[in-house]
Amino acid sequence: MNTVISTRGLQKRFGRTTALDGLDLTVDAGEIHGFLGPNGAGKSTTIRILLGLARASGGEATLFGSDPWTDAAELHRRIGYVPGDVSLWPNLTGGEAIDLLSRLRGGATDEAAYAARKQRLMEVFQFDPRKKGRAYSKGNRQKVALIAAFATPADLYLLDEPTSGLDPLMEQVFNREIDRVAADGATVLLSSHILSEVEELCDRVTIIREGKAVESGTMAELRHLTRTEIAFVHQPGQEAAIDATDGAHDLVIDSGRVRFTVDSDRVAGVLPMLAGLDVQGLTVSPPSLEELFLRHYGDELATLGQAPRS
Amino acid sequence: MTRFVVLLGQRIRRDRLQLTLWLLGTALLAYASVSAVFDTYGEAEDRREILGIAIATRTILVFRGTPNGIEDGAFAFFLLFAWLALLGGLMSTFLAVRHTRMEEEQGRAEYIASTPAGRILPTIATLAHGVLANVGLGLLIALAFIGAGLDAGGSFVAGAAIAASGIAFLAFGLFAAQLFRTSRGANGTSVAFVLAAYLLRGVGDAAGTPSEDLLHLTPAWPSWLSPIGYGQLTGAFVENDLRPLLVPLGFAAVLVGVVFALQSVRDQGASLLPGRVGRAAAGPVLSSSFGLAWRLNLSILLSWTAGGIATGLLATSLSSIVGDVAGSNPQVIEILRRAIGAEASIEQTFVATFYGVVGILAACCAVQVGIRARQEEVHGTAELVLATRVPRVRWLLEYWIVGVIVIIVVLAAAGLAGVLGAGRAEDPESLIPNVLEAAAAQLPACLVFLGVTLLVFAFLPRATIPLGWTIVGVAAILGTFGPILQLPEWLNNLSPFAHSPVPSGDGTDWSGGLWMLAIGLAAGAAAVVAMRRREVSTGG
Repeated sequence: MNTVISTRGLQKRFGRTTALDGLDLTVDAGEIHGFLGPNGAGKSTTIRILLGLARASGGEATLFGSDPWTDAAELHRRIGYVPGDVSLWPNLTGGEAIDLLSRLRGGATDEAAYAARKQRLMEVFQFDPRKKGRAYSKGNRQKVALIAAFATPADLYLLDEPTSGLDPLMEQVFNREIDRVAADGATVLLSSHILSEVEELCDRVTIIREGKAVESGTMAELRHLTRTEIAFVHQPGQEAAIDATDGAHDLVIDSGRVRFTVDSDRVAGVLPMLAGLDVQGLTVSPPSLEELFLRHYGDELATLGQAPRS
Repeated sequence: MTRFVVLLGQRIRRDRLQLTLWLLGTALLAYASVSAVFDTYGEAEDRREILGIAIATRTILVFRGTPNGIEDGAFAFFLLFAWLALLGGLMSTFLAVRHTRMEEEQGRAEYIASTPAGRILPTIATLAHGVLANVGLGLLIALAFIGAGLDAGGSFVAGAAIAASGIAFLAFGLFAAQLFRTSRGANGTSVAFVLAAYLLRGVGDAAGTPSEDLLHLTPAWPSWLSPIGYGQLTGAFVENDLRPLLVPLGFAAVLVGVVFALQSVRDQGASLLPGRVGRAAAGPVLSSSFGLAWRLNLSILLSWTAGGIATGLLATSLSSIVGDVAGSNPQVIEILRRAIGAEASIEQTFVATFYGVVGILAACCAVQVGIRARQEEVHGTAELVLATRVPRVRWLLEYWIVGVIVIIVVLAAAGLAGVLGAGRAEDPESLIPNVLEAAAAQLPACLVFLGVTLLVFAFLPRATIPLGWTIVGVAAILGTFGPILQLPEWLNNLSPFAHSPVPSGDGTDWSGGLWMLAIGLAAGAAAVVAMRRREVSTGG
């Protein structure tokens, strides 16, 4: 499989602060790759380096096998980009901005086809192109960048928290567009701090923390690292059997329900025990990305005093 | 009350550097100019002569004031007041818009309005802040006049006149902020209003009725439409009449009433004049990054070109009159010659002086193009363009090209306007080549400013805006006032404007221009090449 994005030990320092501290990131052709981390983890900095807008202080980054800093303009022929916080020209209308960006990307050479693509996108995103840039809300500025990105086909989409400011309805429209470009074979790097979004859309995920990748893999691989929660209605005398079961952790009996967790690759092993107890109201919850995320950031939350340790 | 104090304190704190520089700079200019007036026109005879020339030619009065005798104070007031009031007016309108419409446009006013401070109190605080600034300006100018040796009573009347006209402009700034949705619109209208007030007063003076001794003048009615005109009507240092100041202050009071009436009925963020609906699709100009750079700089170009045309028209239409009157007056010729430092005929000298101003206008326009590049970067819109197929180097090169075009357009417009104005001269054929050469002679200096601004953009991006304006401002002051203020030679020579060739028929020395042409092109090229290694920054 072709590697589209590859960084090895990528570093970026701004004066004394270190934004990226040896980031490894690999994105293969055709995949939708979630790039997950809270604000300030280094997601935008990475994307700016991949776009050749910022230069790495150390390590290496390649895009389609080329250096994003020296070959920026050439690489941009193949890239669609949506910034996290879209600024527009105050005295250009949204429609003018979309046309300008599409023409600069070379996507408007076939005018009729481009007009049709633009029209369709403006309709699905319910976008009014006649207002001046300064009059748009954050969500509408975001739509300008999204429409401009999707109106011109690209091999790679770099999307930096693209749904910020969009309402849930528009998020669904966005998800459909991602599915559409992925079906056409495009590669997508989707940076986000919204776990459910990444979980819903992405094939592979990289979790970034303080400028380093702390976890990377397919959703299935990452789930191996977490535990599945099992819960059922409590009946007296069940505790001993659960305690005796290999692989069961964190037993809690609360509000008349038994809850415990089990390593995700060992769920099958506890099924005989559950059958033996003849449990009622059984639920088995697969691990969410949320847990995965909290596993890496839980200590931070704990020191902030906002969440108990799990 | 405490909330008011907090808001006022926040305004003072935010403006502390900007206002201090503006207040001290204006006061210093007042002080230095009065001292220079004493040096240059020390003798009563000189002053009698220059007033006679001014009243005879009339148009010179547009740029000065109402002649009111040859006493020290009155003479300085005649030369300086309108100019100082103009500076005070610009300070006031920018201040008003900065703390009202700009805050609203950028959404910060909404935070404040959501606190118990509400929607109205910030405007009251801005009003108080502006009044304080104007009182401070008036006081400092009065002290500067006294320090330069003028009579204290008259100095305070002059200071009060500055403050009163400034408060009228402040009120207009607040009013414009209610009308427009953007700070740009409000600032543009306010600046136009201040300039119109200056010019109306100028027309009033130029069309006024002189006394028999040609030392005094009663301005015509257009002066009564201008806050600056009422400031002049105080007759500071002679009549010392404060009553005319009631008119600008009354005007301010009425406008402030309207401002609060408007603000109490309108929505936060809304404006009296609605924003317009624009095009749904881009026109052919917006097909390339060059087209975008051109479009973004078009309004800048149009406004500076208008200034160039006006200056060019004045240059030649006035030069014939000056030739008549000043021909017999070696003093005036000497002053004009010293200003540009060349051996030339009086008409050539006069034309060169005016095209020196055209050069400053074109240089300002070029600097503003460089500043627009920086604004695009800070705003984040440069990033959108640079994430497409546009390379960094080409992006800045296109700004440079737009800069060269605007310089040429401003100079060419001023040159053509000069040719039009020359029609009234006695000998247009000899004047026209002189005018065109004078316009072309400004090109090298302007290229230096464009190149240097882009160089600052490439190497010290954060300094682009302050340094760009400072360089052109200091150079303009050195270039125009330096010779009159009799500053040391080396200091004057720092200004690129000092090296602009002065056309004087066959003997024109173009070498300074060629040197600056080389420097300007080299600076521009270095800036563009430096973009290869330059990152695009976010949010400043």
